[in-house]
Amino acid sequence: MTMTCDDARDLAPGFVLGALSPDEASAVRAHLATCAQEHAEFAELGGVVPYLADSVDPVEPPAGLRSRLLAAAAAERPGGVARESAAGLTAAERPGASPVVAEGREGAAPTSPIPFPSAGNREQRAAARMSGRGAWILRIAAVLAIAVLGAWNLQLQSRLSGVEGDLAAAQAYRAAVTAVLNAAAQPGAQSGFLAAADPGSQATGLVAASGGSVILAVQNLAPTTGSQVYEAWVIVGDSAPVPLGGFEVGLGGTGVFRGSTALAASGAIFALTLEPARGATTPTLPVLTLGTIVGGTG
Amino acid sequence: MTDEARHSLRTASAEDDADRLILVDVGEGKLDALEGLYDRYRAMAYAIALRITADPALAEDVVQDAFMGVWRHASRYVEGRGSVKTWLLSIVHHRAIDAVRRRKPVTELPDAELPAPGQLIEGDIWPQVAGRLDAVEVRAALDVLSPVQREAIELAYWGGLSQSEIAIQTGVPLGTVKSRMRLGLQLLHGALVSGGGEAAHRPGSVDRPGASG
Repeated sequence: MTMTCDDARDLAPGFVLGALSPDEASAVRAHLATCAQEHAEFAELGGVVPYLADSVDPVEPPAGLRSRLLAAAAAERPGGVARESAAGLTAAERPGASPVVAEGREGAAPTSPIPFPSAGNREQRAAARMSGRGAWILRIAAVLAIAVLGAWNLQLQSRLSGVEGDLAAAQAYRAAVTAVLNAAAQPGAQSGFLAAADPGSQATGLVAASGGSVILAVQNLAPTTGSQVYEAWVIVGDSAPVPLGGFEVGLGGTGVFRGSTALAASGAIFALTLEPARGATTPTLPVLTLGTIVGGTG
Repeated sequence: MTDEARHSLRTASAEDDADRLILVDVGEGKLDALEGLYDRYRAMAYAIALRITADPALAEDVVQDAFMGVWRHASRYVEGRGSVKTWLLSIVHHRAIDAVRRRKPVTELPDAELPAPGQLIEGDIWPQVAGRLDAVEVRAALDVLSPVQREAIELAYWGGLSQSEIAIQTGVPLGTVKSRMRLGLQLLHGALVSGGGEAAHRPGSVDRPGASG
């Protein structure tokens, strides 16, 4: 079906308001991408549409949304999505690029987003809404599920791009995260995300503490060599970091740490450093990854 | 008017420049930048999502989805085609409409990753309106429209209805819906860009940029 300029003009109001069928909208896009004539009516009509949003009064969202968003974002940061975007930024900002065509094509680019986490999130959240009691456990589980699936998918992506061994690493991390998720689902548990804390680090992960025991799952760690260990630390308030113990990491880059501490309470910070040997009493900077745990009944 | 517009532009540019810097940081994966952007626009984003979905929990999902979209694709923002705010809120709008349509299996879903139509071909009225639009002024501009023009636009924008669905719902021919939407948008354009008749001749709108700067 070929669209004439008159057809396109006729559909312009519906197009800019998003009120066309998908087929009609695609036909308009195709026409605009190839038509030699200027279609100023799209700019004139479409330019005001975003400002319709300004006619509502702001409504403060529930406070929990911020932490869920940041947790989901932290879980997706490593592994290249952010870097791909940064690369895209320079391309998209190059003067003279045709925004219409470039952006339309970008939608189909292989860097497109990861479908699993939000879908999982939605189902889990729906479950959380239905159950009043224990809803917070589901909520934590939902947030953690994003991390599992997000990391899993990122690893798959990098595997597809030809990086060897990442599938095994992803499986190892997935198993580790499942263990953390189980710990986080215990009544009174605290949990949190570990975000990369140094420009040179892409280490991220999860931490859960329950009944005096703590478990960390971390990915994107450089393999340890010789006597090197990764040391986990807990920091409460202004106190000095307290070492929890060390662990080694193989080529997969995934680390799991299980330990015990009486200091795990909501608000405590967990951090990871690379130490030359076991038994460190003060952290060797930089801190590679860190995060705060929240939750618990007590 | 020219001076006023220039003044508006300058003030709004300062704010938008700040947003663009934040967006660069977001593109580099800086969580605190995302948090900053969230704090700036969370209440507008949630209000839009809530109005479209009429479901607080779904609206939360929509806002989170939208900010995650920004987190993943900060690069899709194209300078010169509108403010970061406009872009961000367009994404919220688009995702909210998607979410509402997803509940109606009869309507085919648009490709979630295609830019919203408004983003695709966004006429840049930003230089003309920068810094002086708020809810009161946009509502005043909407008052310039006839009730049926306004209804057609709002059923599409807030209701997520297609123009055919609007024709059925309002009981008028499709051609009438199209012309109502067209005339309504043209009037709105005039009202917003020129500072629009009665809409922008209220005391206060002229001095707003200076007062906020």
